[in-house]
Amino acid sequence: MINDRSTRGSQQKVVRCVGITKYFGGVRALDTVSLELLPGEIVGLVGDNGAGKTTLVKILSGLYQPDEGSIWLDDVRVAHLNPKRAREFGIETVYQQLFLCDNLGAAANVMLGQEPVRGRLGPLQFLDNHRSIEEGRRHIAELGITLEDLVSPVRRLSGGQRQSIAIARATVNAHRLIQFDEPTAALGIRQTDATLELLRRVASQGVAVIVISHNLDDVFAVSNRIVVLRLGRITLNASVNDTTREQVVERMTGVSFRRNVL
Amino acid sequence: MRVPSPNSSVRESLFGGRNTGLFVTLGLSLLVISLFSPQYLSLDNLRVVALQISFIGIASLGTALLIISGNVDLSIGSQYALCAVAAAMLARTIPAPFAWLAGITLGAILGFLDALMVWRVNISPIIITLGTMTVFRGIALRITNGFGVRGVPKSFSAFGQARILTVPMPVCVLIGLGLLAHIFLHKTVQGRHLFAFGGNKQAAEAAGINSKRLILMNFTFNGALVGISAVLAASRFGTAAPTFGVGFELDVIAAVILGGVAFTGGEGSIVGVLLAVVLLGVINSGLISLGIDPHYAQMVKGAALVVAVTLDQLTQERQERHRKRLAIQERSAIA
Repeated sequence: MINDRSTRGSQQKVVRCVGITKYFGGVRALDTVSLELLPGEIVGLVGDNGAGKTTLVKILSGLYQPDEGSIWLDDVRVAHLNPKRAREFGIETVYQQLFLCDNLGAAANVMLGQEPVRGRLGPLQFLDNHRSIEEGRRHIAELGITLEDLVSPVRRLSGGQRQSIAIARATVNAHRLIQFDEPTAALGIRQTDATLELLRRVASQGVAVIVISHNLDDVFAVSNRIVVLRLGRITLNASVNDTTREQVVERMTGVSFRRNVL
Repeated sequence: MRVPSPNSSVRESLFGGRNTGLFVTLGLSLLVISLFSPQYLSLDNLRVVALQISFIGIASLGTALLIISGNVDLSIGSQYALCAVAAAMLARTIPAPFAWLAGITLGAILGFLDALMVWRVNISPIIITLGTMTVFRGIALRITNGFGVRGVPKSFSAFGQARILTVPMPVCVLIGLGLLAHIFLHKTVQGRHLFAFGGNKQAAEAAGINSKRLILMNFTFNGALVGISAVLAASRFGTAAPTFGVGFELDVIAAVILGGVAFTGGEGSIVGVLLAVVLLGVINSGLISLGIDPHYAQMVKGAALVVAVTLDQLTQERQERHRKRLAIQERSAIA
């Protein structure tokens, strides 16, 4: 790993990516994408299908390696960002297909990979199940989610409840950046509102947030900044106050509204 | 249905999941057998029955852990044969205790080889271990020229024929290892991670659980258990043959599945697996002591497995309908 320390700007960036390009075979999924994320900022990432949104999210969570470009965490260049390194830094991602263990309870899912230990015997770690359930309950409650049964397998729960658990899971570790890939796709109106409120609350703790959504209402309701991807390139990167839905759609599709209307 | 949760109370770990059904079936079987053949419940006979099931029982512990984590090793029958003949052959030249240890270590190595391939090659472990099953059997046949091992010294039998308080050594080992496996699976973080892996591999990896180490440990541990079982058997009989353990893997997997372990991974308990091992052993020996053609035992064992799995499937479908109702309720609550 190469560590280059550069001079710090007036406001420290949590994550900075510069000139990221990613190929899948002959297809260029991302084309010299540069993006900076500030603490506590909510960035709405929008674009048509295949625009490269999920690819960018997977690069920032370390699942994909970019072919060109560099990633900087806290102004330190990271040569190979892998999932472990991203987690250690405090980057978490809630994917569209929720990564939950259906056979485990809600608390066990939230605490997976960071179970409280009661004692050790050589390499064996004895699980403190009572504390695991209590800490899981606390993390879920902190998000304002009410869930009575923390022990039954989560496969018995509804889509909305499962979504909540996946988000609770991610927020436990997301100290710096949390990414949501279509967080409200499986949700009803009331749960969508609750989820958006939750994003605001996470961001207010100084965590940078990236939200991928096809729903522009949600994006405009919750984001500070909107980034539009089209065919792997950033076509718009603007404060939500300086842009309009028409402009966003225009940059997403490449079709000018005004020209069509006139 | 109560599903045995990865971490459970004493009551739940004894009676959760399919265990109640297994207890009842076992009790009824013993009742019927002892009505017609009272001497079946004599201490001497029970000792023989326990001895018969202990070899499959020890191996079933490792297979249970493997299947719970979403893996399987079909080569255990061949591992069993290879470890048994290797230990018996070595006993002709090196002191017996070293031969026992060598057999067990060989099991661990064979398991490790399976693990290396499962970990590196992205193909189902069923296919890979189907291949190594043939390879290991071939090695066992080659080194023995296909014959049983002759000229094994008497000292080699000391391990398998030993008794602790009149209980045969294989039974003692099964009880001890069963207890350890239960504690490992239900009381440790590693055990929890096995369940997580069987439940959703991607989720477990995204949670930062080291999949390579888990697979390597799991298969190696399984191989060592097969080695222990094989050395105990060879030592008990005072010799070994390369045809040992043909169909062993199927008996073991049948017991594990009957014991409530989901073949798709993520569910099961050691108590259930041991109950199933005992039940299958009792059906086997009970029918013989009732003077019934032993071929019926085959049919009964197979039927028991099919009935148990069918009942599970029906319960799952009922749960599916229940979830559907929940989802519809949730939707209408929003509207």
